[in-house]
Amino acid sequence: MFGTMLSNMFKGNQALSREALEALAGKPVTVADAAERLHAIFRRSVRIRQVDAGSCNACEWECTALTNPVYDIQRFGVDFVASPRHADILLVTGPVTMAMAEALKKTYLATPEPRLVIACGDCAKDGGIYRGGYGVMDGVSSVVPVNGYIPGCPPRPAAILMGILNILAQATVK
Amino acid sequence: MHPVNERYQDVGPEEFYGQCAALARKSILRTMFAADERELDGHFKVYAVFSVPGEDLFDILVMRLRDEGRGLSYRSITPAVPAAHWYEREMRDMFGITPEGHPDDRPLVLHGMYEKGLYPLRRDVTAESVRQAVDVGREDYYRYMEVKGEGVYEIPVGPVHAGIIEPGHFRFSAVGETIYYLDPRLFFKHKGVEKLFERMGFEAGVALSERVSGVSSFSHSTAYCLAVERMSGIEVPSRAKAARTLLVELERLYNHIGDIGNMCAGTGFAVGYARGAVLKETLMALNDRLTGSRYLRGVNAIGGVSRDVFKDADDIISTLDAVKTGFKGFMGFLLDSISHVERLEGTGILGRDIAFGLGATGPAARASGIGDDVRRAHPHLTYGSLVFESHTRGRGDVFSRMMVRADEVECSMSIIESLLDQSHEGGLSVPAVKVPPGRQALGYTEGPRGSIFYWVKSDGGGMPLRVKARSASFCNWPLMSFAVHGNIVPDFPLVNKSFNLSYSGCDL
Repeated sequence: MFGTMLSNMFKGNQALSREALEALAGKPVTVADAAERLHAIFRRSVRIRQVDAGSCNACEWECTALTNPVYDIQRFGVDFVASPRHADILLVTGPVTMAMAEALKKTYLATPEPRLVIACGDCAKDGGIYRGGYGVMDGVSSVVPVNGYIPGCPPRPAAILMGILNILAQATVK
Repeated sequence: MHPVNERYQDVGPEEFYGQCAALARKSILRTMFAADERELDGHFKVYAVFSVPGEDLFDILVMRLRDEGRGLSYRSITPAVPAAHWYEREMRDMFGITPEGHPDDRPLVLHGMYEKGLYPLRRDVTAESVRQAVDVGREDYYRYMEVKGEGVYEIPVGPVHAGIIEPGHFRFSAVGETIYYLDPRLFFKHKGVEKLFERMGFEAGVALSERVSGVSSFSHSTAYCLAVERMSGIEVPSRAKAARTLLVELERLYNHIGDIGNMCAGTGFAVGYARGAVLKETLMALNDRLTGSRYLRGVNAIGGVSRDVFKDADDIISTLDAVKTGFKGFMGFLLDSISHVERLEGTGILGRDIAFGLGATGPAARASGIGDDVRRAHPHLTYGSLVFESHTRGRGDVFSRMMVRADEVECSMSIIESLLDQSHEGGLSVPAVKVPPGRQALGYTEGPRGSIFYWVKSDGGGMPLRVKARSASFCNWPLMSFAVHGNIVPDFPLVNKSFNLSYSGCDL
C-alpha cells in the first residue's frame, strides 16, 4: 500500500488525493521509484537534520522510530545526519520555545541551500496545545520559513515518512 | 479540606529552616514549590512536601510570606536539605521569592531572553505581558562552573545535539579525555506549562498533562487526575483504577525495554539497538491498538478512563507473551556480548549518599541502592492489593541501571498478568463535579523515570489557582554531574542514556 503511493507520488510530481490513496491500498511495496526520484532531485540521497525546538518529546521518538528495522527510512535513501552542514532537510519539532528561537535560526542559517524546512507535529504547526503560552512562539514559521507541515500529536512514524516524501514531491513541482 | 494522607502544618519563616532540616534527616523531600494565594488570604505560600518513612503519609510544611516592602525572602533550606536546591531556584525565577543563603545565585528556568523582575507565575502577571517583554536576541549569559588548572579545557555541547534528541547545554571541564566536571544547563524547552494549566481549567488540563513529557504521557496524566480527583472528593470506580494501573505498567514496559535497547547505541552495538527497537515497536503498536495512541493519550479523564482496555485482554496477553520471550532472548544476547557489557560495568557510578542527598528517584535511585518506589510507599490505584518488590542494585553504574530496568520489566509483566486475571467491578468513569473553591491535594504515581507529583489548588471560581507539576527528571538531572565525574567523554552519551531523562519533563 505504502510503496505504491510513493511511486505514484513521483510520477506526476503530485501528491495523492484521498481517493487515489484508497484505490492503491493492498498493493505490494516498491521503493525503487522513490529512491530514484530523490536522486534526480538532489543528485544524491537526502539527509535530514532533526531539530527539537521545545516539543514534549513524543515527536522525536517517532522520528527515531523511522530508523528502526520496522520503518527503515534508510531504504528510501533518506537518513539523519549530525550536522546541519550536511543536511538537505530540517525536520523541526516543537512550538519553538523562547529559549530555542536563536538556536533554531542559527541551525537554519548553517544549512546550505538547497534546503527544505518541515514542521513536524501539531505544536510545530502553530504552537498546538501550548499556543498562547508565555514560553512559546506559536510555531516554527514564526522563526524560519516552512516548506511543509506534518500534522499529528504526535504523527505516527508512517505519517512522518509519508509527509517527508510528499513535501519533497510538492517542493519539486515545476 | 484535603485527602487523609496529607498532613499540612503552618510554619513561620523563622522555624521553616529548622523544621525542614529535622524532617529531611529521615524523610524524602518529594517536591517544594510556591503559590501566589494573595487572592485567598493576602499571602504567598511556600510548600515543602515530605514522605513520612514507613507510612502512607505526607508531611507538608506551609510557610506564609508577605512583601512588607523589602521583597519576598526566607532562609534557604538547601544547605541542610540539598535536594531542595533546584526547587528554590525555580521559586526565585517564577515568583521572585529569594532563598537567602542559597549557594547558587544563577537563574535556573528563565534564560536571558526573559525580562528580569517579571515573575510569570504570580497571579497579577499575565502570560501576554511576559511574552511581550521577551527579546530573543537579548544576551543570554550563564556563568558556567569553571575548573581552573593546567590542561583543563572546556567542551560546550548543545543546545542542539547531534542526534534526534532534546536540547540542553552541557559544559564539560575535561583533562585529556577525562571529565572533571559537567555543568548541565536545562530549561531550553521551558514552555510555561504551569501557567497554561491555570488558563485551561482542570478538565482541559488532562490533555496538557499528557504533553509535559511525551514518554510519560499516561503517568503524568494519572498523577494529575489523581490530584484533581482527590481535591474534588471524586471516587473513581475500581475498574477504572485497574485500567489505569495496567496502562501505567504498559508505559513502564515500553520505556524500560526501549531504554535498554537505546543503551546499545551508546556502545555502538548496532545489532543490539535494532533488536531492542523492534521489541519497543511491538509494544508501541499494542498501545495503539488498545487506546488509539502509541503514547496512551486520550484515555485518562477526570473521573476515570474513556476506554475499557480489559476488553482486549487476549491481545495484551498474546503480545506480552511474545515480548517476554523476545526480551529474555534479548537480555541473554546482550549479557553474552562481552564488548557491550564491559562498557557498562563500572561506568557512570552514582554514589548512594549523593543520590539520596539530592533526592534521586526511580531506576536511577534504585540502581544506587535506594529502595524507594511510590507504588509501595504511597499505594494508589490498585497497587495496594498487588504484591511486588522494589528492585535495587548496589553499584550505581550503567550496568546496574540497565539491570534494574530488566528486573522491573519482569515485575511489570507479572503485575499486568495479575490485573488481567482478576475481575474488576464498576464502570469506567464517574461524571465530572463542580470543583469546590479553595481546595488542594497531591496526586502522584511512579512513572518510568521515577516519582511524578502534582499538587493542585482551586481558586474562588473553581478554576486552577495553582498546578504544580514535578516530573522525575527534574530531580535526577543534577545527578548527571556526579555520575560522569572521572569518566571519559565518549562514555557520556552512554551514561546519559542509562538515565534517559526527559528534558521536557524537567523544563515544563
